[in-house]
Amino acid sequence: MSAYLISMTTYAGFFMILALALNLQWGLTGMVNFGIAGFYALGAYASGLLSAKAGWPLGLSIPAAVAVGLVAGGLVALLSMRLREDFLAIVTLGVGEMIRLVVLNEDQITEGPRGLRIDAQPFRDLVGQENYAIFYLCFVALFVAVTYAICERIRTGPMGRTLRAIREDDVVAGVLGKDVFRHRVQIFAIGGGFMGLAGALYAHYTQNISPEVFMPMVAMFIWMSVIVGGAGNNRGLLIGAGTVIMFLEGTRFIGDVIPSLDAEKMSALRIIIIGLLLIVTIRLRPRGLLPEPKFTYEPRKDAGKPARSPT
Amino acid sequence: MSLQILINALVNAALIAPPAMAFSLLFGILRFPNFAIGGYITVGAFAAYTLNVPLGLPLPLATAGAMAFTGLVVWLAHVLVFKPMEGQSAVTLLVVSIAVTLILESVIRLFYSADVRGFDIPLQRPYRIGEMRITKEQIEIIVLAVAMGTGLHLLLRYTRIGRAMRAVADNPMLASIRGVDAARVTTFTTVLCGAIFGLTGVFAGLDLVIEPLVGWNLTIPIFAAAILGGIGSPYGAILGAIVLGLAEELTILVLPSTYKIGVGFVIIAVLLLVRPQGLFGTVEIKK
Repeated sequence: MSAYLISMTTYAGFFMILALALNLQWGLTGMVNFGIAGFYALGAYASGLLSAKAGWPLGLSIPAAVAVGLVAGGLVALLSMRLREDFLAIVTLGVGEMIRLVVLNEDQITEGPRGLRIDAQPFRDLVGQENYAIFYLCFVALFVAVTYAICERIRTGPMGRTLRAIREDDVVAGVLGKDVFRHRVQIFAIGGGFMGLAGALYAHYTQNISPEVFMPMVAMFIWMSVIVGGAGNNRGLLIGAGTVIMFLEGTRFIGDVIPSLDAEKMSALRIIIIGLLLIVTIRLRPRGLLPEPKFTYEPRKDAGKPARSPT
Repeated sequence: MSLQILINALVNAALIAPPAMAFSLLFGILRFPNFAIGGYITVGAFAAYTLNVPLGLPLPLATAGAMAFTGLVVWLAHVLVFKPMEGQSAVTLLVVSIAVTLILESVIRLFYSADVRGFDIPLQRPYRIGEMRITKEQIEIIVLAVAMGTGLHLLLRYTRIGRAMRAVADNPMLASIRGVDAARVTTFTTVLCGAIFGLTGVFAGLDLVIEPLVGWNLTIPIFAAAILGGIGSPYGAILGAIVLGLAEELTILVLPSTYKIGVGFVIIAVLLLVRPQGLFGTVEIKK
């Protein structure tokens, strides 16, 4: 049971990084990305293949996964920035599915549906077998914290204001002299990088990755996390990701209460509950559990004085 | 060989064109890409299956029943889920519509196992014309799809409710000022589209198999056809479906068939980048 709880929390960590990345793209900047599963897969396979087949150390393969995510995010953004948001949704979903199809079909490289086995795990020799699960949870938590800190920094800084302006009305932001295009591509790339990171962490955690993990369903769960938690609010969507994982994994225990349900029916029931959770949340709290705080302008104490003495 | 591809493409198009038209009609009213259509089609297929196999009704009756039932489901989804969320952004609604598909699919999986099923119809040899083969069901699908397209055309063009539907899709504000009852038009459109999705479910059951994912697998080709034809243009959707059907069949010649699902996506992506308004759509004026 406690081992189960640890693994559930570790998964929540992957979801949180993905949700933070999506919030950067959508919650803050208003760019739709339904290809989350694809970026997640890219990161997982980049780090997995580099360490398992090319023999790179993890200290290089995980950053490489981030880089692959960054580049892919930038490319998708460059290609599709002209699109209306609902069309962008379909195109990004397509990118995600194409990545999965390539992984599935090019099995000489990726092992396809057989699954890619990855032996390398970070700090495996330093930490013993019995404590490794706990250690990895802390390792993931560290990355969640770093990602959170970066996202919060972007959100509260001057760039965050620009991004919100782009989200609300890109024409106005452009008229005010902000480089809308550059900001959008940058943020989409950064988000892609974080998703790649989440993928790499996932790959070295399960040590066996196969294409069916990266179905569009993953994107769906991350979107639900962000919408349920509250788009634009980083703290809210940590709660959202936790809630979604809790409903997704925690409801496995219904089977203990109602024994007549087999595994197939259980998984169906779980999806129904998750779907209803989304609909009920939007009906009751249209802006999520923790809505985005209203931006208020607080002049600094020393406002009005020149920053540097004119001498 | 090459003519066989043409026939396969035609059957594909007949399968995709009616729901692509319905998708366009729904888009005109709700204004977001409704992923729930996958769930609706699956509901149609299973409703017809239930009436046809366990209850033993003949297939035409079962089809009518499935169309009525799916119409009801689509209307209920609209009243319970989408209408109360009118103020939400298109993307939120899109996520919700995926959730609706997942819920419908899962409810079906709860009652039926994931086994592959088929309708209770006698197996027949396909007709042979020279080198080409076509089954009786495929001919029925093509004939019914053509009838459906013609019927929709007549409805939109020559009836009072059809004109009202076009008016609301065009400019809801203006339509309501001119005294069109938007609520009644919306109800009619949802039920009509539901019936079309139900029929598509039956077609899919005839040509493919009946399983919970049948609707989801058709969703992207339907989107591709609708976008190809220009969203909101029901006639464009027919041509979009034919182009897509051909493209899918031609891909199999050069790539492994597992890449077939990707064709719809690639077509959508390329087309949206080059011509965002679709082949026949007009440029939408923002705000």
